[in-house]
Amino acid sequence: MDKLDELESQSIYIIREAYYHYKKLAMLWSIGKDSSTMVWLVRKAFFGKVPFPALHIDTSYKFPQMYKFRDEYSRKWGLDLVITRNEKALAAGMTCKKKLECCTALKTEALKIAIAKHGFDALLLGIRRDEHGIRAKERVFSPRDEEFKWNYQDQPPELWDQFKSQAEEQTHIRVHPLLGWTELDIWKYIKREQIPITELYFAKNGKRYRSIGCTTCCNPVDSNAATIDDMINELETTTTSERAGRAQDKEDTYTMQKLRALGYM
Amino acid sequence: MTTAKHNPKLMVLSIDGVPFALMRRMMDDGVMPNMAGLAGNVGIRQMRSVQPTVSCVAWASYMTGKNPGKHGIYGFIDRRTESYDLMFPNSATMSAENIWEVLSRADKRVFGMNVPSSYPPRRVNGILIGDFLAPTIEKAAYPAGESEYLRSIDYRIDSDAQLARRDKRAMLADLDKTLDTRMEAMFHYLDKESWDFFHTHIMGSDRINHFLWQKMEDNDPEFAPAFFAYYRRIDKAIGRLLEQLPDIPLLIFSDHGFCRIKQEVQLSRYLVETGWTTPAQEIVHPLSVDPAKSKAYCLIPGRIYVNLLGREPGGIVPLEKYQQVRKRLAEDLLKLRDPETGENVIKKVVMRENVYWPSDREKNATMEPEQSAMYKGTYGKAADLIAIPYDGYDLKLGLAGNKILQKTELEGMHTYDDAFMVARGIELPKDDLEILMLARPILDKLGVEPPNDMDGTGSAITPRF
Repeated sequence: MDKLDELESQSIYIIREAYYHYKKLAMLWSIGKDSSTMVWLVRKAFFGKVPFPALHIDTSYKFPQMYKFRDEYSRKWGLDLVITRNEKALAAGMTCKKKLECCTALKTEALKIAIAKHGFDALLLGIRRDEHGIRAKERVFSPRDEEFKWNYQDQPPELWDQFKSQAEEQTHIRVHPLLGWTELDIWKYIKREQIPITELYFAKNGKRYRSIGCTTCCNPVDSNAATIDDMINELETTTTSERAGRAQDKEDTYTMQKLRALGYM
Repeated sequence: MTTAKHNPKLMVLSIDGVPFALMRRMMDDGVMPNMAGLAGNVGIRQMRSVQPTVSCVAWASYMTGKNPGKHGIYGFIDRRTESYDLMFPNSATMSAENIWEVLSRADKRVFGMNVPSSYPPRRVNGILIGDFLAPTIEKAAYPAGESEYLRSIDYRIDSDAQLARRDKRAMLADLDKTLDTRMEAMFHYLDKESWDFFHTHIMGSDRINHFLWQKMEDNDPEFAPAFFAYYRRIDKAIGRLLEQLPDIPLLIFSDHGFCRIKQEVQLSRYLVETGWTTPAQEIVHPLSVDPAKSKAYCLIPGRIYVNLLGREPGGIVPLEKYQQVRKRLAEDLLKLRDPETGENVIKKVVMRENVYWPSDREKNATMEPEQSAMYKGTYGKAADLIAIPYDGYDLKLGLAGNKILQKTELEGMHTYDDAFMVARGIELPKDDLEILMLARPILDKLGVEPPNDMDGTGSAITPRF
């Protein structure tokens, strides 16, 4: 079996396993290439009819192309689209001027609101191990407590791909069907399956987005990759990190607060 | 005795930001009797720090034995390459091997705790616990399993600086707790680990100096004694350390000195008022400048960048004007005066090529300014000019503020010339000593060959300014 077939069948297995185990499952769809690939796999797993909602956490600051894509494809794919915003924070004027608090309010807090409102006990997320250092420690089935804390030292072992889908009460489970995929696998799969993705990923005037989120926190990278083949080619030779164009990580928030208190900001 | 020779060990205890002058005073006044006893036997001397004089740069230079042009840590905040965005340098962005790694390669067992610029901890043959910027104990510790022990003693990565601004008494209690758990962990690991090189860092001294220096100098009835009580606590731990390690080579030193703040200087505001920088319409961080209208901008402390065409994404100064712009910038900076006293604020402005040198050049080779300006990589991240203030004028940022000079809760600031060094059982360079010179003799003492491009000898030392 070729590598993509292997990844695909394992992801579908994980998705079906999750659906079998959890009563209130949802998939997080950020409209990016990874979660869109996940949506594609979910559709394959259930032969085109997705039996649980697609949850979109809307910061209200996403690229217009992303909203257009979301609305078009949720219709075409027949998704039960659930959109959640942290209206309270938005009404209070939360913008990326306070960049670092902004992500917490509009993403993390908004997700808590969605979980509380809809009672989801498990979420499918399209994260990949190669995206970011700390994600290397993730498991396919990863329990979170009510405060969303992830104790990576106290995770059920997953030896020989025996996934631990059982969890204690009072937690929600994050399920990561794409954990073992690389950025390159995703592009090769998008190409093979002809999965629609937003135009932001393709180069215009020498720039393209390699990772997308809010307009305010994403910078394009220099690239002439206008097709998926160009992109695959580019990835096979690049040394910069995928999230190089993303402005911040949670850790920067901590660092910034610390340095501010010490008078270094 | 032969074992000691074949298995040399070395212990470092660093105390952040304690000036030579203050250390001598505290030894004379009986605040630090154990230090006085040690220094009475082996002497105490002054040591130079780094430019700019901030802990992360000083400790990166110590742990790599290299100048910032080679390790790439120029401050607590920096520019993201080819953008006007901020990034936070740390050990993950430091482009040189640190002393724990060099020793690990030579099969030495190492230990490090809380040394600035050591977070995130790199993989070593031993244990490395990262510095005050580590967000959690789990992330601070390599191997991660050590966090279990650290949690069990309620180890503190750092004292809470926000507390210091709100409530000085609470700050003191917090500093004590942080120091106590640090020392508890130090004695635990000294005993439990088999080590060849052991380095523990105390950060609280820098904090107490920042927030209580003036009260100490002015003999505040409550806070001056509290200030010295903190140093007594450190000295007590040193006493216990000297008892436990009566004859192992030992270095106790600081990374920079301290003095009273006369004024904090919002240097970015000065650049705005002199027409060099035009802020962006919305100021969200220190690099919110309008590139089309800014010939230069700065980062803390005193790091000034020319908005150079072909190098910065929105650069407007052509390379042929680089020297002229730097000259005029330097002139303007040197004109800055304290309106209250009429004193000059900036003592000297140095050009990047005169204070830093890159890895891939001969030590003696001088660099043409234009070549330096367009240099890529680690060296290329340096500021184009470094403004060195007179002691008392603390160079800060404040693009959005309306005042150039101001006073805040901060009472003390770093000084360059006045770090201290007490060395037992290890030979250090005789006359001039700067912090980047320490790695060589340490490696030498442990019988490990320093990397070829390590500085700190010959002409690879920083000129005095």
